[in-house]
Order: sequence, then C-alpha cells, then structure tokens
Amino acid sequence: MDRTVTRWLFAPVARARVAWLRTLLYLFVPVDVLLTTPWVAAHDTAPASLYRPLFVGRLLEHPAPTYWWVHLVQVLLLAAAVVAATGRAPRLLGAAVFVLYFEWMLIAMSYGKVDHDRFAFLVALAVLPTVGAARRRDRTPSEAAGFVVRCITTAVVATYVLSVAAKHRFGGGLPNWLESAVFVRAVLRRGTPLGDLLLDVPWLLHLSQYGLVAMELAAPVLLVLTGRRLYGALAAYALFHLGTWAAIAIVFLPHLVCFLAFLPLERLLTEGQAAEPDDAPGRSDGGSAHAGVPPGRRWRLSATAR
Amino acid sequence: MAVDELSTTRRWVRTAAFAAGLALLLAGTAWGDDDHFPFGPFRMYSTADDPDGRVLSTYLQAVDTEGRVVERVGEHEVGLRRAEYEGQLSRVVDDPQLLGDLAETFSRRHPDRPPWAEVRVVQTAYVLVDGVPTDEKTEVLAEWTAP
Repeated sequence: MDRTVTRWLFAPVARARVAWLRTLLYLFVPVDVLLTTPWVAAHDTAPASLYRPLFVGRLLEHPAPTYWWVHLVQVLLLAAAVVAATGRAPRLLGAAVFVLYFEWMLIAMSYGKVDHDRFAFLVALAVLPTVGAARRRDRTPSEAAGFVVRCITTAVVATYVLSVAAKHRFGGGLPNWLESAVFVRAVLRRGTPLGDLLLDVPWLLHLSQYGLVAMELAAPVLLVLTGRRLYGALAAYALFHLGTWAAIAIVFLPHLVCFLAFLPLERLLTEGQAAEPDDAPGRSDGGSAHAGVPPGRRWRLSATAR
Repeated sequence: MAVDELSTTRRWVRTAAFAAGLALLLAGTAWGDDDHFPFGPFRMYSTADDPDGRVLSTYLQAVDTEGRVVERVGEHEVGLRRAEYEGQLSRVVDDPQLLGDLAETFSRRHPDRPPWAEVRVVQTAYVLVDGVPTDEKTEVLAEWTAP
C-alpha cells in the first residue's frame, strides 16, 4: 500500500482518545434525542400519509413508523448509548448504537425534510466500534485509533467543503449564489430578534455569504494545523455556528460535537496518571485517589506538552 | 511507546471502506439529492434567491371548534415541523385531505383540547428590492374543513 496514504490514514493516536470520544459522543446521544432534537420523537403520531421514505428506506422496504416502533427504537437507543459510554463491550454496543441511531435518522428524515448537520456524527458512530477496548489513561499510540480520528475529522471538513459544491450546483453557479439574497431569505423565514436587525443592513448579510464560502473552502486547514493554531481555528468555526444560532436559531450540534475528535483528549488525564500501570476499569474516571496532582491541573488540556 | 500497528489486511479493509464512503459522498454531492441521505449533497441554503425577487414563507394555520386560531402549527401540535410539510407542499395543495390527517393527529396528541375545524396552508411572499424586503403579500394556498 502507498506509504503516504497509510501514514495519513493511520497516523497513530493514543487509544485514550477513542475512550474519551466514546464517553462524550455516546453521552451526546441522549442529549440529542431528548433535549436538542425532540421533534424526531414527535414523529410518533405523524400521519402515515405524510411519510416519504428516503432511498435507503425504500431499499429496506421500511414501513411508516408506528407510535410503538418510534418509542421502542428511542428506548433501545438511549439504553445502548448510555451503556456504551462506559466503554463496555465497545464493538457490540457501538455497533448497536450506530444501527439504532441510523434507524432514528430514518424516522427523523422521512417526512419531507432532510437535515445536513450530522454526517460527521454518523461517521463517528460508524467507526468508533472498529477499535477494541480502550481506556481513558491508555496512551499507547494506535493506528486503529488514528483511523477513527481521521475518519471523523475528514467528515467534518468534507461537510464544509462539499457544501460549497452544493451551492455551486443548486445556486446556479457559485458566483450567482454569492450575489444572491439567500441570507435575507434565511432571516426572513426564521430570524431571531437579533437576526431581524440584520435585515436593516443587507450589505452585511451579503458580505457574510462571501465570508461563509471562504470559511468553508478553508476548512481543510483543520487537517493540517496542530496545537494552539488548530484550537484557534476550531474556535473560529465554532464561533461561526454560534453566530448562525444567534441569527436564525440553527445550530449544527451533532456536527459540532465531532470537533472533539481534533482535540488531544488523551491529555485530559495528566502524564503522571498515564504512567500508572494499574488501570482498573472501575477507576477509569481518574478519581481523586491520585495524590500529588492538584485538582485543577488534572482536567486542564495541556496544549504544549507532547 | 511502541505503536500498536494494524495488520496489512485490516489496513486494506479500512482503506477500502474509507474510499467507498468518500466515493459515495462525492457521487451524492455531484448527482444525488436529499433522498440519498446520508450521502446526499449538503444543500442547506444552497439555492440562490434573486435580490429583486420574492421570498416565500409557508405555514399552517388551524381553527378549532371553539373558533380559536392556532398560528404557525408545528411539531408540538402535529408532530411535524414547518419545513417538513413545506417540503411536501405540492402534495398538500393537490390533496387537502392531508390537512385533515393533520387535524386527526392533533386530536390524538391533544385529546384534552377542542378538535380542529379548519386547517389552511398560508404563504407569505416578501417582495425584495435590492435585497431589502419592501412589501409582503399573504395568501391561502389550500384549505380543509371538517366534514
């Protein structure tokens, strides 16, 4: 196999990163299902006459979800995700979470509207089970863990870059899209009080369209930057999503949680603890038993140490 | 620390899966549509609105048997978001009985509240001049009345 591809796709990452990603991403599932996108569960009573199955739904001959089916999937998904977050049976439970979440997405997107905020999250759920048991203090560099991180970060970047391609395709060419009033439409249709103020400054909305495309095209730098520069860039992208949320109440939350894959989560537990060999699963939370490390330090991301 | 390496076979399987996923995503971006989720194009806000054209905003309005008007029906009432029935607008306009299905859904979700006697699709058209909304016109596109 080509050495360059191998080195890029399998750049070793500490197994602890995967352990942390499991905890954080699987715990995001209940947040997503219960708090931030409760409209998916609301499809339990949606009329079957308005069910419009997606291509993959038709392929699977997926019938219109019934009330009981929606809630069965919901309960199984929540249970699987919470247990998977502990790191137990990572391959089996991880695969279960992926399948159940995918089904949840079919329930979500089959009524006339498809959202584009969770491609990276689906990729994350798909690849997390490809690594075996991983502990939050296991600093062993692993190619399997590196592959997981590479898949998630590439999916995040692809979401930005390919949405420029979509603008070119559906907007009558990118120059036409840039010169359009698409942001005016966005604010007119779902502007927040803050967003509505922007209608008085149309040139700013227009300029923001150029800013957005520039930002989306620049996304591949996230795959190149390291250290403080990377964190700065990630913060800038997160700030963009915050701005979108403030103006039109749309936030790409599942996409945003995937930013975690870029971060050296393995450093959440400091070096001293990492060196300890007795890594009993029951104590993988890095409990307070470790003397000599001030409590404040233990949870700090030490960006400079490598 | 020694690197935990993958066997050549495992690397090949992963590389092939990565390439396949990327190929599907690129194909979806070039030729697919929302229907091809999750590999469809990331087309949120990808259309271009004419700065001297019209912006349409559609919503549902219901009137219950006691004459109370429910503006902007959403997932709380019928389990569907505005964008969802908007995505099926032509179907709803062609077949207003679908609005009746939504009225039935409302009664099932809220048995304690008076049922809906009327449901209508209302559309507001904002007229833009040089990117600034100047005028707006509202019309009823479809209507359903309880038999």
